[in-house]
Amino acid sequence: MEENSLDATVDKLLVQKWIAETGKNVSAAVPLLQAVQNEYGYLPREAMDVIVAETDIGASQLYGVATFYSQFRLDPVGRHVIKVCHGTACHVSGADRVNTALRQSLGITDEDEDTASNGSYTIDDVACIGCCSLAPVMVIGDETFGNLKGTDAQRSLKKHARQQGEFLPGHEEEKSDADAPDRKSPGKKKKEVWQ
Amino acid sequence: MNLQPSKPLEIIVGEGTCGIAAGSNDVRDIFTELAPEAEIRSVGCLGMCHDEVMVEIIDEKRGACLYRKVDKKNIPDLLRFHRGEGEMRQDLLIRSSMPSIGADYLDRQTRIALRNIGQLDPESLDAYRQRGGYRSIEKIIREGIEPEQVIEEVKVSGLRGRGGAGFPTAVKWGFARSAKGEKKYLICNGDEGDPGAFMDRSLLEGDPHSVLEGMLIAAYAIGASSGYAYIRAEYPLAVEYFNKAINDARNAGFLGKNILGSSFDFDVSVKQGAGAFVCGEETALIASIEGERGMPRIRPPFPAVKGLFGKPTIINNVESLANLPWIIEHGGAAYAAIGTEQCKGTKVFALAGPIKRGGLVEVPMGTTVREVLYDIGGGSSAGRPIKAVQLGGPSGGCIPESLFDTPIEYEALNATGAIMGSGGMVVMDTKSCMVDIARFFLEFTQIESCGKCTFCRIGTLRMKELLTRICDGQGTMDDIDTLEDIAHQVRSSSLCGLGQTAPNPVLTTLKYFRDEYVAHVEEKRCPAGVCKGLITHTIMQDTCTGCSICERYCPVDAIAGVIKKPESWVIDPDLCVNCGMCVEVCNSDAISVA
Repeated sequence: MEENSLDATVDKLLVQKWIAETGKNVSAAVPLLQAVQNEYGYLPREAMDVIVAETDIGASQLYGVATFYSQFRLDPVGRHVIKVCHGTACHVSGADRVNTALRQSLGITDEDEDTASNGSYTIDDVACIGCCSLAPVMVIGDETFGNLKGTDAQRSLKKHARQQGEFLPGHEEEKSDADAPDRKSPGKKKKEVWQ
Repeated sequence: MNLQPSKPLEIIVGEGTCGIAAGSNDVRDIFTELAPEAEIRSVGCLGMCHDEVMVEIIDEKRGACLYRKVDKKNIPDLLRFHRGEGEMRQDLLIRSSMPSIGADYLDRQTRIALRNIGQLDPESLDAYRQRGGYRSIEKIIREGIEPEQVIEEVKVSGLRGRGGAGFPTAVKWGFARSAKGEKKYLICNGDEGDPGAFMDRSLLEGDPHSVLEGMLIAAYAIGASSGYAYIRAEYPLAVEYFNKAINDARNAGFLGKNILGSSFDFDVSVKQGAGAFVCGEETALIASIEGERGMPRIRPPFPAVKGLFGKPTIINNVESLANLPWIIEHGGAAYAAIGTEQCKGTKVFALAGPIKRGGLVEVPMGTTVREVLYDIGGGSSAGRPIKAVQLGGPSGGCIPESLFDTPIEYEALNATGAIMGSGGMVVMDTKSCMVDIARFFLEFTQIESCGKCTFCRIGTLRMKELLTRICDGQGTMDDIDTLEDIAHQVRSSSLCGLGQTAPNPVLTTLKYFRDEYVAHVEEKRCPAGVCKGLITHTIMQDTCTGCSICERYCPVDAIAGVIKKPESWVIDPDLCVNCGMCVEVCNSDAISVA
């Protein structure tokens, strides 16, 4: 994978502090990795090296645990993560369309890619988050959005971006406009025409 | 929520995950701003998720009124009424302490495990105490009830594991009680992995102390001194509230050394899951707490004899635990009086999908599926017929409409090919494709298979490939036979429940909805209009207004035309990916899917 600016700089002292709090034996593996991921959004190689060097957990064991559980990821994430729920209720209510809509807003075209080119947002498909009566659901940061159509997802994303001072790819030059459709130039047609 | 008003106005906002998702934080802020005189509190989820945000407003004259779908627009009306200045918003009222207004949704339920949900502040130990909390463990310790008597009481109650397998709780405890060894563990299994299930989340979020008291009772019965609550990381609020409950209980003397002055020691810590469905299986969950990859182990030895760190361990599901304080307080016989001869007590379901009133439903065993769907759930929300209900998630199956009179009992549900499961109940109407549902679940189990058993690892992959082919319109009739054959082999050649039950969604849909499979294969048609490889989106030019909104939202530039000239608008079938964005945004229903 190419080197990119999303790679985190690992604070070794911080990792050592977590080790001191959690313990050095094998049963600390999951909580330690969770602490690392909470901080950096993914598991940077340097942080894992520190854990291997300073605990009883072997490299193969730690890597084994890191790749077994779906919560953990080895690639860097964007500055914000959007969790799109793909539980049963969300699936039957159109969770795929939420993905399509978000990918459109974020300009992600490569099927294997999940992060916007400007490093703003990462789309993470997750198993059920247990808000089935509000399906389909997505979570941005700590905020949960329910009963989403594709367009609702786009609108919520734009609102979030505006609040966070983020720009969506292709919109770096403009001010975000919650009502403007994506990608295609908002100035091309007037809003009244289609309302 | 029926507390005496202590101030002129008391406002109680439901703030579970569903409430928050529906905007309860904003609602709370608006009340704070518009009603500075009121005392504003929050409670956990009441389980009527379809009606969030829910708010109860109490004043002395009008009593307590529970409102649904509260938002910034209707808050001023509600406040005016409770200040004696306006009319009641009947359209938003769920129930009122004034007579004559009832709510089918709640009145038809028997809430035991859910007895406190939405009735108390989950972060308050005092609130739990006021509703009789910790009285059961106090009774056990103060009256010196022996562990064997506790086990006997639970045996009388007939309680069976509510995680899905339905093993009698008292029998399981008996094994651990008689197992040799000083150190024993009790684990609360809150790794609610079934997509479409949220009973445990609501309990842990809405009434953590009753789960904790259940853990105390179970630990006392088996002689455990340490406990873990294994909770999914996807439930951050549940983790937060449960940790707080543990701390508060410890400070109040209900956890730690010499509980309530007795020789009983017990303490609990929370372990967060890391996203592995298989960890709901007992031995995999144990491996996960030990810091290993969550892979199941061969049983015997059973965890009750040799479990966590090699010590006798009992793992009970959240809902089973929440029932225990009630059983001890009211007696096993009172619990056994509910339900049927074979299955005692109640079961909680998480009702979701296109249904009018989705949310948490707790009913006596023996209630029929139809009663849950129609009498409580209110039937279809979209006006389309309900054709099936999915029970038990990826391990379960689909029950067709013709079998909706099946009573909710472990054995009766097994006979249909589905299972009781942990309680997920997802409704499917005519817009749900059963082949697509089978593919969805196989995709899930294939990813979640830990890889230990070949038949599960490779078999689920092959089944997923075959189902994908059928959904894409590339399937043959032979594929259906192969699918059935592999399903039976995976079922019989897997070590744990994941593999043994993974074929259920395929086998039940093949059994009850074979015609849909055949339509996909022979007619290259998806009757529900779901499978992307078999549908086409077309603009109906006689309904189209030429507004161009679909063009703007199409992610692949497949739509073109001239504004205000409906006859010019077309979708290029070669470019269209059938995502459905155009259908969603079209204001005049001018796009057909066939």
